[in-house]
Amino acid sequence: MATEEKVRKKKIGTYQVVQIILGVLFGGYLAWRLYEILIANPVYGPDTWLRFAIAGIILGSVYALVAIGYTLVYGILHMINFAHGDIMMIGAFGGYFVFEGLKSIPAPTAADPGLNFLNAYPVISVILAFVVGVSVAALSGYFLERIAYRPLRSAPRLVPLISAIGASIFLENAAMLMFGAQRRDFTNPTVLTRGDGWELPVGGGTVILTYTGVLTFVLSIVILVLLYLLVQRTRMGRAMRAVAENKNVAALMGINVDGIISRTFILSGALAGAAGVMWGIHLGLVYYFLGFIPGIKAFTAAVLGGIGNLPGAMLGGLFLGAVEALGPAVLGIDFQLKDVLAFGILILVLIFRPTGILGEVLSEEKV
Amino acid sequence: MSKRIYALVSLLVLASMMLAACGSTPTEAPAASTEAPAATEAPAATEPAAAGAPEACSTDEFGCAVFKPGDVIKIGMGAPMTGDYAAFGIDISQGASIAIQDAGDVNGFKFELVAEDDGGSPEGGAAVANKFVTDPAIVAIAGHIFSGATNAAMPIYEKAGIPMMSPSATNPDLTKQSSKVFNRLVFTDADQGRFAAEYLFGKLTITKLAVIHDGSSYGQGLAQVTNDEFIKLGGEVVDFTAITPGESDYSATLADVASKQPQAIYFGGYNAEAAVIVNQMKQSGLDGVIFFGDDGTFGQDFLDRTAANSEGTYSTSLVPSASEAKAKFDAAYEAAYQTPAGKLSPYTWTAYDSAAALIATIKSVAILGDDGNLYIPRAALVAAVRSIKDYQGLSGMVTCLENGECASSGPTFYIAKDGVWVEAEK
Repeated sequence: MATEEKVRKKKIGTYQVVQIILGVLFGGYLAWRLYEILIANPVYGPDTWLRFAIAGIILGSVYALVAIGYTLVYGILHMINFAHGDIMMIGAFGGYFVFEGLKSIPAPTAADPGLNFLNAYPVISVILAFVVGVSVAALSGYFLERIAYRPLRSAPRLVPLISAIGASIFLENAAMLMFGAQRRDFTNPTVLTRGDGWELPVGGGTVILTYTGVLTFVLSIVILVLLYLLVQRTRMGRAMRAVAENKNVAALMGINVDGIISRTFILSGALAGAAGVMWGIHLGLVYYFLGFIPGIKAFTAAVLGGIGNLPGAMLGGLFLGAVEALGPAVLGIDFQLKDVLAFGILILVLIFRPTGILGEVLSEEKV
Repeated sequence: MSKRIYALVSLLVLASMMLAACGSTPTEAPAASTEAPAATEAPAATEPAAAGAPEACSTDEFGCAVFKPGDVIKIGMGAPMTGDYAAFGIDISQGASIAIQDAGDVNGFKFELVAEDDGGSPEGGAAVANKFVTDPAIVAIAGHIFSGATNAAMPIYEKAGIPMMSPSATNPDLTKQSSKVFNRLVFTDADQGRFAAEYLFGKLTITKLAVIHDGSSYGQGLAQVTNDEFIKLGGEVVDFTAITPGESDYSATLADVASKQPQAIYFGGYNAEAAVIVNQMKQSGLDGVIFFGDDGTFGQDFLDRTAANSEGTYSTSLVPSASEAKAKFDAAYEAAYQTPAGKLSPYTWTAYDSAAALIATIKSVAILGDDGNLYIPRAALVAAVRSIKDYQGLSGMVTCLENGECASSGPTFYIAKDGVWVEAEK
């Protein structure tokens, strides 16, 4: 007994030493690269750095929104909902069809007889797109849980995971059959034309802060704050946290566990839907496979921040976006390698802090 | 037990297939056997020089193809007519058919196009070639369509002395095998890169170029050639970078490119990524930089996706410059097939040119014998096709080089103006 403990202690010791050595090496390399690229041999002007940062933060805010959906479901069911990215795709299609529909409604004015509803009332149009996109995504989330996960509630943990992958493939192919395999253009109202924005003169260049980008970022932050308040301050939020803590005890306390799980999926679907509509408005492409890459990235973000932890997912998303945009520039590598970098960081975080940046150490039972 | 039955059944099926194949070939050569192609023996197409045959036939390495009055001169084509790439085969055979219609006759002998389905695969290409060499009436091949099938078919025609003129096989290696019979009328990726670099440097007077590609063998290969040629001409390539295809946000990559301050961007890849790049150029600090795309970006789709952002971007295409002959062909094509030329594939025009150039060459070497038969000396035809010079086709002047590259006029460049592609200044 005693020797066994000794061996275990010693093992942890070497592991920690390796951790420290790796950490110092990596930190040193990063510091040297930063010095190289910023002071010794500046390749980019401040305008370029600002462009990188803007691209990263906007993308990061979408990742954050999707990552929260992963984390919410994980926190309650301890399962990875791999179909989450595809729910986002459904939301994007919802927004797309609203815009297409509104575009075909004429709203002629005296000044412009060819005007359509989309351009005449852009604010209402955008709100409608979000309402519809969020609703269909929330509905899909609800049915996803009812059909693919609830029957497997008591099954071993691998089973719902496989069911999730199956649901993901099903949703992608269903969307392909319904909407076609081609990439469609998300037509924005003219006030939200992609690429247009505020022009900031920085360091000899002009940096464009796009309207769609600002909309995406601001909206994500607002949604995230609202969600945090919902989870922390409301009755439903308290019930959710109770279920996350322990389903059986929560049930004993009179909480309808199935109801709470359903609502969690509706909430997570709604977030994915909002992210999907933003993705469409900001990047302008919708197609059946749209959710896959953001889904994987958001999952990475959720793990980075500490899965199950709401502020962690948000931080992880923004961090991942920033790494993708700034990382290759700082390290002086090809931009095609940004995914390598993102997933490389995931591996590093898992080595040094398996629970993620803000994650708590999970109890044995939860794991 | 069931395994045995299975083996027995498959044996029976195989045997019946072989029997059927033998039954359908009128010649003595075993056409269905790939082990010993008919061409290795005395070419089945060759007939002993009969009385009245011109002297050219007895001296010709492969002898003459003989046509009795009333026979038709056949031009073969191996093309994918079914499956995923059927649109290419159908379109190319339709373009070539128009050339047959326009060809008229030579001394009263008419032409015919025989398009066989090779599925675009090497096996299919070899099978079709083996079938063609057993038909004495086939004197030339307007094909094959895909590079793999062409590569497999080449040695078979080589042995039978049948010249080829492919409208679409672009693999650069095909003309490096010192084949006597293979020629092509389509520019290769290497040609395209060279012409693009020359246009950028010479016509647009770009000295600082950024090259972006999508990592595909097509896009990267093209980008590499353009890069090398541009440097050879004396220009400076400020950035050579890759993107991951399929993404919808390249703004960070583009900001990186912008920091190198290029005057133009050359893109090797397809229209989906090209559209995303063009849409994000302004916000990434590449306002006013010329975007120059390859023939993968050409098409209405790219313009629809980029709207006003595409104004002034360049693209490359096989679609030849507007001319009277092209207008006449387009009208004939649409009248015959109820679909505009170029909708199914971009190879319609080169398909017409390959068939038309072959027919013109056949006419020039055909000899009307004293006995009223038409004689076409095969080796002379092979040589004549290789030495085609200044033939005016829809896609420009056709002059074959010693290695069989006949697309001497190169691609046509287009510029986007008000949502349509118009031909760029030469």
